[in-house]
Order: sequence, then structure tokens, then C-alpha cells
Amino acid sequence: MKRLITAAFLAAAATSASAEDVKLQLKWVTQSQFAGYYVAQAKGFYEEEGLNVTILPGGPDIAPTQVIAGGGADVMVDWMPAALAAREKGLPLVNIAQPFASSGMMLTCLKETGITSPADFADKTLGVWFFGNEFPFLSWMSQLGLKTDGSPGGVTVLKQGFNVDPLLQKQAACISTMTYNEYWQVIDAGIAPEDLVTFKYEDQGVATLEDGLYVLEDRLADPAFQETMVKFVRASMKGWKYAEANPDEAAMIVLENDQTGAQTETHQKRMMGEIAKLTAGSNGALDVAAAERTVASLLSGGSDPVITKAPEGAWTSVITDKALAE
Amino acid sequence: MNRALPVLTVLLGILAIWYAAAVWMNATWVFDQAERAGTTVTWAEAIPQTMAQERPLLPPPHQVGAELWKGLFGQAVTSKRSLVYHGYVTFKGTMMGFGLGIVAGVLLAMAIVRFRVMDMGLMPWAIISQTIPIVALAPMIITLSSQLGLTARDVPKAIIAAYLSFFPVLVSMVKGLRSPDQMQLDLLKTYGAGEMATFLKLRLPASMPYFFASLKVAVAASLVGTIVGELPTGAIEGLGARMLIGSQFGEPLIMWAALFAAAILAGLLIVVVGVVERLAARRMGVRA
Amino acid sequence: MSWVPAHSGWLAGALMLWLVLWAASVMLARREGRGVRLVVPVLFGLSLLVLWEGIVRAWAVAPVILPAPSVIAAKIAASGPVLWQDFAQTILKGAVPGFLIGAGAAFAVAILIDRSPFLQRGLLPVGNFVAALPIVGLAPILVMWFGFDWQSKAAVVVVMVFFPMLVNIVAGLQASERMQRDLMATWGASYLQTLLRLRLPAAMPFVFNGLKIASTLALIGAIVAEFFGSPIYGMGFRISTEVGRLGLDMVWAEIAVAALAGSVFYGLIALIERGVTFWHPSQRK
Repeated sequence: MKRLITAAFLAAAATSASAEDVKLQLKWVTQSQFAGYYVAQAKGFYEEEGLNVTILPGGPDIAPTQVIAGGGADVMVDWMPAALAAREKGLPLVNIAQPFASSGMMLTCLKETGITSPADFADKTLGVWFFGNEFPFLSWMSQLGLKTDGSPGGVTVLKQGFNVDPLLQKQAACISTMTYNEYWQVIDAGIAPEDLVTFKYEDQGVATLEDGLYVLEDRLADPAFQETMVKFVRASMKGWKYAEANPDEAAMIVLENDQTGAQTETHQKRMMGEIAKLTAGSNGALDVAAAERTVASLLSGGSDPVITKAPEGAWTSVITDKALAE
Repeated sequence: MNRALPVLTVLLGILAIWYAAAVWMNATWVFDQAERAGTTVTWAEAIPQTMAQERPLLPPPHQVGAELWKGLFGQAVTSKRSLVYHGYVTFKGTMMGFGLGIVAGVLLAMAIVRFRVMDMGLMPWAIISQTIPIVALAPMIITLSSQLGLTARDVPKAIIAAYLSFFPVLVSMVKGLRSPDQMQLDLLKTYGAGEMATFLKLRLPASMPYFFASLKVAVAASLVGTIVGELPTGAIEGLGARMLIGSQFGEPLIMWAALFAAAILAGLLIVVVGVVERLAARRMGVRA
Repeated sequence: MSWVPAHSGWLAGALMLWLVLWAASVMLARREGRGVRLVVPVLFGLSLLVLWEGIVRAWAVAPVILPAPSVIAAKIAASGPVLWQDFAQTILKGAVPGFLIGAGAAFAVAILIDRSPFLQRGLLPVGNFVAALPIVGLAPILVMWFGFDWQSKAAVVVVMVFFPMLVNIVAGLQASERMQRDLMATWGASYLQTLLRLRLPAAMPFVFNGLKIASTLALIGAIVAEFFGSPIYGMGFRISTEVGRLGLDMVWAEIAVAALAGSVFYGLIALIERGVTFWHPSQRK
């Protein structure tokens, strides 16, 4: 036990000694959604910048915001609504880059339920992810004027697990899916696309910014940390653009990094193809208009808004300005 | 009547029920698909189809068996697709938690038996600690341990496993350390033995059967803790992580195979602990 | 996090209070009586809370990492209705019915196989083995089968509770001694009479041992199952959702409720046990 503690101290000391170590906390398990970072690592883009990057996969019980608050990571991948909500809770997160230009979130419904437009949601059961991913859904519903507490005329919300079973077992009329993942699992399960109706958040005008890079505000004041982040963002974006251009290779790199060995080539290649559509058009710099749209959407939550006031300083272009300068 | 026959009969019974349930549960899907396609199927046509689905509601035993075989023997044991490899990862976590749990359980039991205030104050809290759902604590254990500089993901896993496995050891050790009766304690007093000597020469040896009896329960609890810990804490490797990925990507076969691999591991651990228990009992002169 | 506390006053104060409480428990523990048996654990718990509060305040630990007990207490006081709704969903609808069905089914099966030594010899090793398995892994599968509401939670609890109970009841039914059974036979007692008058009462210590183990399993099962899909209330739902929202005070409030519910559950079983098995050496004073 004593040796363990000593070792831990040494490890902690070693981390603080070398400023070029970066720990990246992912939002979810290793999959093509994070291909850019794995590619940057495998292709040596981080190394070229003199960085030693450790990629920490997430999981159902890991809130990236909590990990970064506890000092377990230097930078994290998360969705803007979750980051803004955490900011209101007193955790000053700042967006330093936005590799995902568009949102991949949608509601997928069975046609047999008779749903053809959002107006038909009333009195239906809808599946949603929670754990910080419920914010875009909640603000969409309140914009539609649908109550989510199960009262008549509103919608019944169910917390869906990590798969699409609620739809397959007909426990829900619609479930949340990502264009790059769950939607294809529904298709794989043998339901034809023409038996499905999908509502993309992007098309409904309620899209919020997804996978962005966030750091703690106070650390950003340190010029050395800023310098490290500039290198990190530059290398990461190089990784993303490589992944976009070579999706199959990127998917294979992700597979090599999947330590569970349970992921399959088919899933990851297809996911990479869909992810590339979302990162397309982003050079890493945050589109301020999109960020403001996200804020507006979250603020318009009626009686129970996700955030109560517009955040200040929740994003900065300091890092991307420098990273994209050359 | 030997011992194997009844067990085999029961196992065969379970297998039969399992097959029947698989047909019954998976048939819904077959009929649904047929309806979507606008055709009809008879039961005779449906049954073979329930036996070989890719995403069955309940995979029939032979599908699970095949997947398990593939995972255990179908690849090099060092491959990350090998269930042997993941079983080993889980085994390591289980052993770390088991060790920690034993140490914590024994030390706490000693304190409880020695100090009255610990007995009265700590024992109720030890019971309460087991009513707290450990999964709820998992994220906090991860962040707190990373706060303390312990970033390795095995540490939180081992703590969760130890949290579940210390309790049976504690309860049995308290019982065991108290098992010498007054006559024996008096005898040692007449020998002029001090507290230390009484502990080493009487209480500790007397507690050993209780200790070993608790190990089976503790090792099973530790395995449960490790798997629960692998599920949410980063899902990197181990049987718990495979269950999660299997669930997320809608691959029930991966889940069931991981579940059975965990069952095999549990069986092996219990057998090994049982052998250790018997050896120890023999060495201590107890007739088995 | 720096190792030097930012507000050492809080730490010193907490340490002092902790020492006082600790000394009080030590003094009280020397006495006898029922009251002492209750007061000492409470003091012990209080002293831990004081230490926790002191540490959190002294190092100014962020509330998103570990909230202070006072903050948690305030949250509990402020969110009574939510906590009650979650409690009703998870404990009253999930854990308790599951516990009763699981224990009842185990009892029924144990009685059914009582007259067949063949089945007993077959079921006991299998039951023992299954009782040691990580049944929690079945939770996602059962949620898929039984839907997202409380039925699936109760199902998980049934499966978790059944085997430990079965093993204990079967072992308990064999606990009466040969001599006692022979005595019943000489009195011309029928199978049913022997079962009701001798063997069931003799089995009670084992049954209650099983019930105690099952009570903690029931809680864990009901809460874990909610992680894999649930309506938007329930203790497991709240815990996993609030962690994601950094509402750690709410998470701890739920944990406190879970611990309280678990302790009451356990205490009730222990109380009934005392009434039913008053004759057993472990209950004699």
C-alpha cells in the first residue's frame, strides 16, 4: 500500500514536471466519433508538436466535466449544452475549438406509430439519453410547447439505455439516435429505412453544438498551457482532416485502440463515414453564430430552461487563432 | 445415486426451458418481420429462424456456446478479442479487490473485537455501508482517486471490489475472534498470558475456520464489484466492459458470452478458494 | 489540489469537534443499556460527518467533486417531493415487490423439492453456483425484456434474490436434528405436521440470514437496473442523471435516502427475526 502511494506521488510529480503532457478525456467509449484524436496520435501528429497525449475513453458513469473538475484531464470532448450547464453550476469551462460543425442528433420513430411531424409527438413515449445529453431534447420540447412530465397532451419521456432496444421492443414510439451510430443499429436490426421517420435536430432548427474541446478557464490564463493547447488543437485538427480524407484507415486506427475488442470493422467504418459529414467544413474554429444559436435554444426552455442566463466567456478563439495562423 | 446424475438432470431441465423460451421470445420478431414484408410464416417455419438470429431477444444455448468457444479458444489468448484475455483483466481486478477487502475486513474485525467503542460505533455503519448502491459511488471514487493522483483505472475498480468483499470477511472474523469460550479465555489467563498472547495463541487460530468460510463469499462479491466497476469506469477492458459494448452496439451474443465467461471465472475462483480452505483446514488439524 | 489547507481554521475546528465526539463515544461505550447501543453509532456517524465537513471546507473542495454534508442536508430538506417520488418508484415499486416475489418463489420451490432428495441434490449445487454469479450483468437484458418501467427492476431483484434465498431455505429445512425428527415420528406426526411444527421453525435462522443478504441485494439490483433504461424518475435515474449535470448534492441526497431505506429494511428484518427465532442461542441475552 505504501509503495502504491509513493508511486502515485511520483507519477503526479512527473506529470507536473513536463508541461507537454496532455490528458484528453473523451465523452464516450473508444469509437470513430473520436477518430481525429486517435489518428493524430497514431500518425504522430502530436509527437511532431512535441506533445505526449493520453486519450482517456469515457463510459456511462464518467462525466467528462467531473473528470476535468477533479484534475483528471487537461482537456475534454463534450457537447456545448453540457458544458454550459456545468458553467452555470460553477465549473468555468471554455470552448477552445469546435471540430464538429454540425449536429448528428435525431429522433428516430417507427412509421407504424403514425408520427409524421413533431406535432404528432403529443401523448407518445420518446426515448432520450440523459447524463448531460438530455439538454437539446428538453429545449426542443419546450419550444414545441410539449410538457415532458407525462401529463396529458405532453410526451412521456423514458431514459433509454445505451442501445436501441426501446424502439425494437416497441417500448417507445421514437428514440434518440445519432446519425453515425444508433440509427444504423436500428437498420442493422432489420427495420427498413422506409419503415422509419427521422427528425434531425439540424433540420428542426434546434441543433446544438456537439463534440467540442473544452478546458478550465483559470488554466487558460497560463501562457505555457495556452501554448500546449495551441499545439494540441493544431495536431488534433490535422488528425481530423486526415480522418475525413481517409475514413477507412481512420476507422482501423480506432479499432486498434479499442481495448475491449468488441467493436467491429463494419460499425466503425460506417460511423467514420457519417462522422466525416459532421466535421466537414470545420477547421476547428468555433462558429460564433452557431454557438449563439445553441445558447438561444437552451435559454428558450420556458419554465425550466437548461441555462438561466447567457454565459459570458464560454468560448474563446485565442487558441484556434494561433493554431490556424500558419 | 451418485452426485452427478441429479445435477445433470437439473442442467438438462434448464437447457430445455431455455430452448423453449428462446423459441417463444424470438418468434415475435420473426412474425413481425414477416408482417412487415407482407408474408406469413407458420410455426414450423418460424422455429428454425428463432435459432439463428443475429440479434435474438434470448439467444439459444448453442449460439452462446459457439460465441463463447470462439472467444475462449478461437484466438490467441493475448488478443484483445479473446475472452481469456479479458477474463484475466477481470481476474486481476478481482484479486486486487479481494486482497484489499481481506486486509480491511480483518483489521476492522480486530479493532471491533478489541475496542468496545468500535464494536458499538462501527458495526452498524459497516452494515449500512453495504446498503449503499456502490454503482452510485463509482464516479465519485474515480474522480476522488484521480484527485489524489491515482489515475490508473485499476485503482477505482479495486476499491469498488474491496468495498463489496470486505463485509463478509469482517462479519465472519468478528464471529471467529469471539468464538473462544470463557473457559478457554480463563485458561489462558491462568497461564498468565497477556492480551497479545491471547490474541495470537487463541483468538486468531480459533477464527481461522470462520475466515476461510467467508472467503468464498468474499471472492464472489469481489468479482461482482470488479464487473460493476468495469462497466462504468471508462469501459476500457475486462468482461464488464465487453458487456457494456455488447449492450450498446446491440450484440447480445457478445453480452451473453461475456456473462458466461464471468460465470466460468466465478466457478474457478470458488473452486480454488474451496481447495485452499480444505488444505488450510487439514493443516490446522480439522477433519474435513 | 494543494496539500496545504486553504482554510486551516475549519480543519482545526472540525478536528477538535471530532475529538470531542470521539471521546464522548468512548466514555459512553463503557456503559451498558439500550440507549447507549443507539447513541454510540449515531455519535460515531456524526463525528465522521464533522470530519468530512471540515475537510471539504478547509481545502475548499469544489462542490462538483464532493459537496459538504451541510450542503447535502440542505438539498435533502429542499427536495422532499422529488426524493419521495424516486423512493416510491425504486424501492416501493421495484425493490419490495421483487424481494417478496423472489423470496416467495424461493420458498415455494424449496418446499416443492423438499420431498425429492434427487431434485435437491441437483438444484443445490446449481443454486449455490448461480448465487455466486454476477447477476447484475443480466440487468440490461432484463430491461430489454420487461420494459423500462418498474417491472424490469422488480425482475432484476427477483433473479438476484431467488438463489441466495433458495440455498438458505433448503439448508434450513435440513437443520433439524435426526433425533428431533425421530421424536416427531414416534408421536405419529405426519409430514405436514413435522414440517410446520419442527422443520420450518428450525429453518428460520437460515431463512432470516438469507433475507438479510437478499435485502441489500434487492436495493442494489433495483438501482443498477435503472442505469439501463427507466422513466424519468427513480433513484438510479436521478443518480446517473445528476452526476452528468454535476448536481452532486442531489446524488448524495439519493445515496443518503438509499442508505436510510436499506438500514430500515434490514432493521425490520432483524426485528422480525428476533420475534420469530427468540429460542435460538444467537438471540438469547
